[in-house]
Amino acid sequence: MASLVVSDLTKTFREKKRVVEAVKNVSFSVGEGEMVGLLGPNGAGKTTTIKCTLGLVKPDSGRIEVEGVDAWRERRKSAAKLAAVLEGARNTYWRLTVWENIVYFAGIHGIPVSRGGDYFKYLLSVLKLEEQKDVEVRKLSSGYKQKTAVACALAKRTPIVFLDEPTLGLDVEASYDLREALRKLQSEEGRTMVISSHDMKVIQDVCSRVIIISRGRIVTDEKIPDLLTLFAARRYKVVISQNGDDGAIRRAETEALERFPGCEIRRNPQTVDVLVSLADGRQIYELVEIMRTSGVAIETITQEEVDLEKAFLEVVRREARACG
Amino acid sequence: MWLVVLQSCWVKAYKLMTRYLFNMLSGFVTLYMVFALLFFGAKSIGGSAIDLGDTLEGIFAGYLTWMLAMMGSTELAWNVTNEAQTGTFEQQYLSPVGYRWIAVFTESFNFVYNVSLIFLIALVMAATTGQEIHLHLGSTLPVMLSVYIQATGLGFALAGLALMYKRVQSFFQVVQFLMVGFFLIPWDRFPWARYLPLAASQRVLQRIIMNGDRIWQLPAADLILVLCVTVTYVALGAALFALAESKAKERGVLGQY
Repeated sequence: MASLVVSDLTKTFREKKRVVEAVKNVSFSVGEGEMVGLLGPNGAGKTTTIKCTLGLVKPDSGRIEVEGVDAWRERRKSAAKLAAVLEGARNTYWRLTVWENIVYFAGIHGIPVSRGGDYFKYLLSVLKLEEQKDVEVRKLSSGYKQKTAVACALAKRTPIVFLDEPTLGLDVEASYDLREALRKLQSEEGRTMVISSHDMKVIQDVCSRVIIISRGRIVTDEKIPDLLTLFAARRYKVVISQNGDDGAIRRAETEALERFPGCEIRRNPQTVDVLVSLADGRQIYELVEIMRTSGVAIETITQEEVDLEKAFLEVVRREARACG
Repeated sequence: MWLVVLQSCWVKAYKLMTRYLFNMLSGFVTLYMVFALLFFGAKSIGGSAIDLGDTLEGIFAGYLTWMLAMMGSTELAWNVTNEAQTGTFEQQYLSPVGYRWIAVFTESFNFVYNVSLIFLIALVMAATTGQEIHLHLGSTLPVMLSVYIQATGLGFALAGLALMYKRVQSFFQVVQFLMVGFFLIPWDRFPWARYLPLAASQRVLQRIIMNGDRIWQLPAADLILVLCVTVTYVALGAALFALAESKAKERGVLGQY
């Protein structure tokens, strides 16, 4: 059963003479207990999508269903099912302690400390915040502040949680700790989570599926292993020797760029790397033919290992090229 | 659910207030000093011609209404501005009871705190001036509440402006002067002035404090007028806030500062 269904979501912002189409006909659904990553360049429409779902930004059109409840018609019912850490906001009161923040935010969601206290303590232990429990948030490092915001969102025990850039500004260790905690909590509780991040490691580590948004539209919606396999099969690195005829190398570069517009050429002291993503694996023969006719010597051909970051960049660049 | 939310709002408001202790104490000192200036100013101008007993209670009644009105109307809007600035505003909106109720619950704490503060100032004032102020709690409290609720109505309207335009602090000052005007306009020359916010409550409060009347001794028509004006202005303020909220959501500027 789908926990969250977004259908044909459209939002346009009008600022004086400027019209910004933030989200255009975005549709996706998230299954119960699924952890989905929302990726996209700056201004792609991720935060607008999240805020429309949370009832903080009014969509122009479209429908959002939160566990079968219309998020805009039955605002209170849907709010009871949602929690979020929002990007670019403190999300917590810096003059209150970690514990006081958790108690307050759970409280305004109708969960008294008498009912949620044990779970709040458990969250503190999973997020490694026990020692900071009684410290005012303003005195904590940014890693602990962010963990506090996450704890406040999770303390509400809502079936759906949105985390918009949860690791923004965190160092490697704090980011790792947070990812570990999210994985643990998700496996134990099976909550539906939508995580928006620029940090591909977070998405690749924690999520099972990724939705890539670019220019307000969904350009990819795939299971992460499927997406990686798809791009791994397509991405090749051809290494040619620099010891030969320089003119031949330039010819090979020019022709490769003409035939495969997204291809990347890297000049090294001894070699030239031609990195190319192919729509069909058989196109590698065409690339080899270009090298042969140009008169350059191929040293190696390897299928590149693709991580989510490379796949994401490929998808976004392809989209940018398609849009001119 | 509602009781839990109410309790959470009160506990948070109390804790935040104690964490900003200097602000709390300076608020008390400022209110006392303004009142002292008004009182001793009246004394120096009027000299022995003024009956100080009546003056203290008269000044106190006026100052009380103005102070409550000022607190009730601006605190809500300040809260919206501050929370948007500190990045907690949108989190309040995620509560199933909605932001408006959270605002009302927080205002209810502020009312109790402000009334306690006012009574404390009255005590200090009486001790400083050597005059007595007769306050019958059962009669003054309901009227003070009506003043506060009307002011909260104005506060909702101001908070709506703060949602839309973010920096509206300079407009607060205009409203503070307007509020003085609301209860200074003479009713005999301008009969419509009785329907302005705060005006009817101020008159009733003045009678209770200055004449020592009990609320049940007052004409029913006056009390009905206070009730109607209170309900009208708080409903109007809440409706304006709802409109501004809807516009802010449309523009996507709810939590922006």
